[in-house]
Amino acid sequence: MHYDLIIIGMGLSGLMAAKTAVEAGKKALIIGKGMGCLTLFSNTIDVFGKITETTRLRDDLSRWIYDHPEHPYGKVGVEKIEEALCSFNTFFRPPYTFQSRNETNSLIPTGIGTFRPTYLIPSTMMRGIALKEKKTLVIGFKGYKDFYSQRLADSFECRGTTLSLPESPSTEITATALARWMEQPSFREFIGTEVKKQIRDEELIGFPAVLGVNDPMGVRKDLEKKTGVSVFEIPVLPPSIPGMRIFNRFKERLIQRGVTFLMGYSVSKATLKDKRCEGIEILHPPVTTSYSADHYVLATGRFMGGGLKADREKISDPVFNLPVSQPGSQEKWFEKSFFDEHPIHRTGILTDSSLHPIDEKGELILENVRVAGTILSGHHFLEEKSREGIEIATGYWAAKQALN
Amino acid sequence: MKLQTEVLVIGGGATGAGILRDLSLRGIPSLLIEKGDFLSGASGRNHGLFHSGGRYVVSDPEAARECIVENRILRKIAPHCIEETDGLFVSLPEDGLDFRNRFIQACEEAALPALLLLREEALSLEPGLNPDLLSAVKVPDGAIDPFELVLANAKDAEVYGAGYLLHAEITSLVVDGDRVKTVLAKDLLHGEEYLIEASYLINATGAWADQLLKLAGLHIAMALSKGSMLITNQRLTHRVINRCRPPSDGDIVVPNHTVSILGTTSVRLEDAENFEVTPREVSLLIQETSKMIPAIEETRFIRAYAGIRPLFQSGEKGDDRAISRGFVLIDHEKRDGIKNLITITGGKLVTYRLMAEKTSDLLCRKMGVDVSCTTHLKPLPGAEKPSGLKDRLKTLGKVETLCDCELVRREEVEEALREGKLKNLQDILHRTRLAKGTCQGGFCVYRLLGMLNEWELAEGDSNKILKGFLEERWKGIRPVLWESTVKEEELMEGIYKGIFNL
Ligand SMILES: Cc1cc2nc3c(=O)[nH]c(=O)nc-3n(C[C@H](O)[C@H](O)[C@H](O)COP(=O)(O)OP(=O)(O)OC[C@H]3O[C@@H](n4cnc5c(N)ncnc54)[C@H](O)[C@@H]3O)c2cc1C
Repeated sequence: MHYDLIIIGMGLSGLMAAKTAVEAGKKALIIGKGMGCLTLFSNTIDVFGKITETTRLRDDLSRWIYDHPEHPYGKVGVEKIEEALCSFNTFFRPPYTFQSRNETNSLIPTGIGTFRPTYLIPSTMMRGIALKEKKTLVIGFKGYKDFYSQRLADSFECRGTTLSLPESPSTEITATALARWMEQPSFREFIGTEVKKQIRDEELIGFPAVLGVNDPMGVRKDLEKKTGVSVFEIPVLPPSIPGMRIFNRFKERLIQRGVTFLMGYSVSKATLKDKRCEGIEILHPPVTTSYSADHYVLATGRFMGGGLKADREKISDPVFNLPVSQPGSQEKWFEKSFFDEHPIHRTGILTDSSLHPIDEKGELILENVRVAGTILSGHHFLEEKSREGIEIATGYWAAKQALN
Repeated sequence: MKLQTEVLVIGGGATGAGILRDLSLRGIPSLLIEKGDFLSGASGRNHGLFHSGGRYVVSDPEAARECIVENRILRKIAPHCIEETDGLFVSLPEDGLDFRNRFIQACEEAALPALLLLREEALSLEPGLNPDLLSAVKVPDGAIDPFELVLANAKDAEVYGAGYLLHAEITSLVVDGDRVKTVLAKDLLHGEEYLIEASYLINATGAWADQLLKLAGLHIAMALSKGSMLITNQRLTHRVINRCRPPSDGDIVVPNHTVSILGTTSVRLEDAENFEVTPREVSLLIQETSKMIPAIEETRFIRAYAGIRPLFQSGEKGDDRAISRGFVLIDHEKRDGIKNLITITGGKLVTYRLMAEKTSDLLCRKMGVDVSCTTHLKPLPGAEKPSGLKDRLKTLGKVETLCDCELVRREEVEEALREGKLKNLQDILHRTRLAKGTCQGGFCVYRLLGMLNEWELAEGDSNKILKGFLEERWKGIRPVLWESTVKEEELMEGIYKGIFNL
């Protein structure tokens, strides 16, 4: 089968590339092993956390980019970054949308009792910003071992309580199970009644981010009606239910618009010739299927996504075997303290300003391939708090340029 | 605070805990002091080999004989701490058969049961072995759980009236004439000072023995040697696998519950506190052990760690003060004119009971009391119940597990909390299998801290404690980060630096 664009990798960058392609009227195929890190780590959209919560992100970011031309943001540019974020936003219609507060970063409370700077915040989390000013009650569930309301209450100097759930078929209560139950009116009835009993003079109620996958605002509204108090969600340990909402939304809309989804597959072989990718193969034993396209976007993520591979000597890209900037020998990959900035996180695929893969000398390697997402070199998304921003901006920009 | 006891035992490793039990069974009042938790020293950082004696049978028959005897005793008194796996001494083509022949003969002389297996027999028992091996000799080696062992000793000692003080370090020994008159100690968690009066002192501080003696103006000639080990994420063989050649680096693989432990190296050190596993040691261990078990080349490792052994220079070793070449027992009355001080160090985990017996015998002679040792007859608490993993598997899916890698149940942790005396996170980790599996505590320690808040046991800032734990964990993980462990690490960083902005 031949496509205009084949996207390898189903994380946020790959999904953004697919969205951009299909909106330009192109025929796109997206291939992914799984749902990517999106459903593990993403709750809000981090764009750039290293700036204050008072200045406009755009202003600070353009200054920063000026000094960091090798950063993926430097390659995309502030304007296109904003365009990309707008494009992301168009997939989310009220009541569940992603918004910034005054175009600056905001600090949202996390499931470990800290605050995290982030940019675009889903509607269900927005009210958490007020946690410091408003009397808050944090709700946990007995048997849900990834969220401890008492611990948060101690950190946030508010009140916490743990609800016992009605008899459930399994004693292992997970975020996914809770999210499913939250969508049932009878469960919400129970939770609403129990929470109401616990409220003293609180004006806010914090729940772990499990208020349903499909209609979180509906769930929230119902809980607010039953308790009479404002409700917000707090990001927790993986898996991320808000991340699943993003994934599901993209998948649903993209399939509607004709993008071909190949989920659970990975590329087993790529045919390269004269600086071009001529096609790829997907092995699904015992069948091998071949696909080709005018353009390709490589958006396979870092180590967890399988985009990068580290054996004891070296770091490589298993799909196209593109040059990867090396952080030295294995003992130099990681610093002495866990909280240090580790050199390995800066490695990745080298690209030119239009996201084409290049080698160490700057020589173009494949002219119909672009690279997007965290697999790119030259950023440190954990330190910068820029994961989703990089994914959205480069996914968008890679596809835009390919189809230009 | 002032404390008084007949005997003060310093050091909460296997030796100190063994002495505490021995003395309390003899009815002698005693108190143990340890600067960390039980097992903070070599006892918690060793290979876990339940020696048959095979490893020393050629080089040091006397040490081997001690192992043989103690091996039999421990099977009776501590079956719950031991996995009877047997061990193979494997000869590879480059080793030749000379050493093997000497080995078999030495086993015979020491009455150590040894069975020669041909290549095919060895491979059918352990298919993971190098197919080029020449032969293997089977001996009754096994795996021992030092945590269960030491804690059972401490628990029993307590039942018989002994006391212990953890997280308290001896800071000063005041000598007056021919005795240590008073002892000062400091609570390392809360800063409280203790003034201890004891009629007798036993220095069971292992690698720190000389450092402690310095407080009394004494000195023994000892050096420190670091041994490093690597833990695989799965169990590679059922039996202990030794290389059949004179002991050297990377010559042993010991199974332990669901994992295997590769060891070891030997590197001289100056300082007993600050040490780490070096990249060179990691490569050496993998290179050498994979000659016996080729799959090690491709195996995933979950952690590296190291322990320190005290080494004795000839002056101490083999002279009249050393009862055995395996360990050193010093009566400081004879040696330095200090009447109420004894030092016991060196030896093996497997000989801890014998070391405790000999130390307690010496003490009794000095005290002029005549009660004999019963530790070789009386089983340790827990000996009646079967060991853990099978139980854990049985309850899987029915109860809440805090640690999904090692199937540690929430109740198990609650039980440890209820028993009390836990002063910090490390104490809890020592008493459960939390943080010992593939994720090395990445998830379960977060959960544990949450539980402590629920129990209102959390002291201080939980996130600071968590950060401290993540740094400790990092020390063990950093040397083995490649292939899939890098993915695991990305997950952990994504959680703690990403989602939680810790
Ligand atoms: C790398 C390695 C591998 C080994 N493998 C095996 C094996 O497979 N099988 C086996 O049987 N044996 C093995 N051993 C030997 C065994 O671990 C030790 O012989 C045994 O654990 C020694 O116990 P211990 O109680 O004498 O010393 P330790 O366990 O070191 O205890 C000494 C304690 O004293 C405390 N202390 C020190 N100074 C003070 C102070 N001032 N105040 C209060 N407390 C203090 C320390 O914190 C420490 O907890 C190995 C040892 C090493 C190093």
